Amino acid sequence: MSGFWPILKRELFALFVTPLAWVVITGFLFIQGLHFYLVMSHYAVSMELGADAGPMQLFFGQTVFLYLPLLLLCPVLTMRLFAEERRSGTIESLLTAPVSTPAVVFGKYLAVLVVYLAMWLPTLLYVKIVAGAGHLDGRVVAASYLAVLAVGAGYLAIGTMTSALTKSQLSAAIISAVTIIALFILGVGEYVLPEGSAKDLCAYVSVWSQMNDFSRGIVDSRRLWLDLTIIVVPLFVTVRAVEAWRQEL
Amino acid sequence: MAMIEVEDLWKRYGPVQALRGISFEVERGVLTGFLGPNGAGKSTTLRILAGFLGASSGRVRVAGYDLSVERLEAARRIGYMPETSPLYPEMRIDEYLRFRAELKGVSRANRTAEVGRACELTRITNRRRMLIRHLSKGYRQRVGLADALLGRPPLLILDEPTVGFDPNQIQQVRTLLDDLRDDHTIFLSTHILSEVEATCEQAVVIHEGEVVASGSIDELRRRKRSGVLRLTLRCAGSKMHGDGALGAWLADREAIAEAERVDVDDELETWRVALGPGVEDTATESLVADLVARGVAIRAVEPVAVSLEQVFADLTGGTQGEA
Repeated sequence: MSGFWPILKRELFALFVTPLAWVVITGFLFIQGLHFYLVMSHYAVSMELGADAGPMQLFFGQTVFLYLPLLLLCPVLTMRLFAEERRSGTIESLLTAPVSTPAVVFGKYLAVLVVYLAMWLPTLLYVKIVAGAGHLDGRVVAASYLAVLAVGAGYLAIGTMTSALTKSQLSAAIISAVTIIALFILGVGEYVLPEGSAKDLCAYVSVWSQMNDFSRGIVDSRRLWLDLTIIVVPLFVTVRAVEAWRQEL
Repeated sequence: MAMIEVEDLWKRYGPVQALRGISFEVERGVLTGFLGPNGAGKSTTLRILAGFLGASSGRVRVAGYDLSVERLEAARRIGYMPETSPLYPEMRIDEYLRFRAELKGVSRANRTAEVGRACELTRITNRRRMLIRHLSKGYRQRVGLADALLGRPPLLILDEPTVGFDPNQIQQVRTLLDDLRDDHTIFLSTHILSEVEATCEQAVVIHEGEVVASGSIDELRRRKRSGVLRLTLRCAGSKMHGDGALGAWLADREAIAEAERVDVDDELETWRVALGPGVEDTATESLVADLVARGVAIRAVEPVAVSLEQVFADLTGGTQGEA
C-alpha cells in the first residue's frame, strides 16, 4: 500500500481547502438540525413514549430526512475523486509515482469517509440534548451510528466507483446519485410488492428497514454483510478501472 | 547495463497504431534526446516508459526492471515530467512538492532539504508560497521539473522540458541539464533539432511510430555532412573493365571513405559508395565526371543515407536539408 498516507492527506487537504467539504457539512447539518428540531417538537407535545419509539429511534429510523441529504451529498463528496484528476491530467503524475493502485483508491476513499464522519460528529450534540431530557440507551445510539456509518460507507464506495468510470464530475455525481437512489427505491419495494422472492429481496436491501432495525438496537449481521458488499465490490471495480486506464488513454 | 531498454514496442489506440515496433537503448549516464515531430509517438513512448500507459506488446526495461512485472520498482527510479505539467491548482508550490516527495518515499527528515534543493535548482525558491493556480506556464513547467528531481532518481524522463519557456529560461534549463547529467541519465523529448544538438549526446529519431535513426549526435552529424550513394553503372568497354579495377580506383579517391559492390546483374553493377566526412556535395559531381571520362556508362546515381536534418525535414514535412 505504498503511497496511501500521502494520498489520504492530500485528498483531505483538497476537500477542506476548497469549499466543497464545508458546503457539504453545512448543508448536511442545516437539514439535520431542522430534522432534529421537528423530532423534538413532536415529542414536546406528545405525552406517549413507546419502549422503542423514542426521539433517537424517530430520528435515525423513521423519517425520510435522514436519507435525503445522504442520497444527495454523498455523490457530491465523491464526484471529484478521480474524475477531476482525469480531466485536469494530474492522474498522470499520480499514477507514475511509485504508488500502488489499491493505495490510490483506498487513500481517496478513506478521505471522503473521514469527511463523512466529520459531518456526523456534531450530531452527537443531539444525543447529548436527548440524554439530558431523560434516559437514553447507549447501545441504541451506538447501533444507530453504526448503521449510518455502514450505509454511508457503501454510498461513498459507489460514488468513488462512478467517479473512476467517468471523466466529468457532473456525470459522476449524477450516476452515483441515480444508483444509490435506485437502491433506496428498491428497498421501498418491501412495502408495495406482494409476498414472494421479489419482496424478500427488496426487504433484504432495504436501507429503510435497516435503519429502522438498528435505531431500535437490533444489529442484524446480514445487513452488515450487505453493507460490506456494497463497500467492497465498488472499490474493487474502482481498482480494476484505474488499472485499465493504463491500457487506454 | 542499459538504463532504458525498449524492445519491439507496439501501442495501439483503437484503430490507430501509435507505435509500430520501436526498439532502442539508452545507456547509463548518457543524455539522450528523443526527437520527432508532433504526433510521432514521443509522448506515448514516454508515458509507457514512465509506467502511465501499458504497451500493446513489446518489452520495456527501466533500470533493469521489467515494467510489466515490477512497475513500482522502476517507478522509484524515474523522475518523470509529463508534457502538460498537470498540477493541483489549490496547493502552494511547497505544499505540492512536499506531497510529491512523500509520495516518492523521501523520508520525513530529508523532505524539507530535498524540496529546497529542487526549488533552488529550478529557481522557484522565491515563489514557494504561491498558489499553483496563480502560476504562469513557465513556472508551472518549473514546478513539474522540480517534482521530477525529488528523491534524486537515477533516470529523468522529461517530456518537452523547454516548451513554454522564453529564450532566457531555455538557456537556464540547458544549464540545469548540464549540471544534472553527472548524476542522472536523462531522456528528454523534443521536436526542436537545435535543442538536441545543444544539449544531448545521443538521439533517437522517431517518425509515425517507428525509429528512423539513432546514435550519438556526432555520428548523426557526420552522416549529415557525408552521404552514401548508390551507383548503377556498366564498366564493359571502359578503362575500368576487369576484376577489381573499379574498386581499387574508387578506394584511392580521397573523397570516398568506403566502396563496395552490392549487386551484379549481367554487366550492370550496383555500387554502394560512402563519401568521407566533411566532403563537399560537389564530390558527387566530380566523381561522376571522372567515371564518365574513363568510359564508364552510368545508369543511375541515388543518394542513400540521410542526414539528421534531412530525416527531420522529411518527418516534419519541412523543406530544409539537401536532397
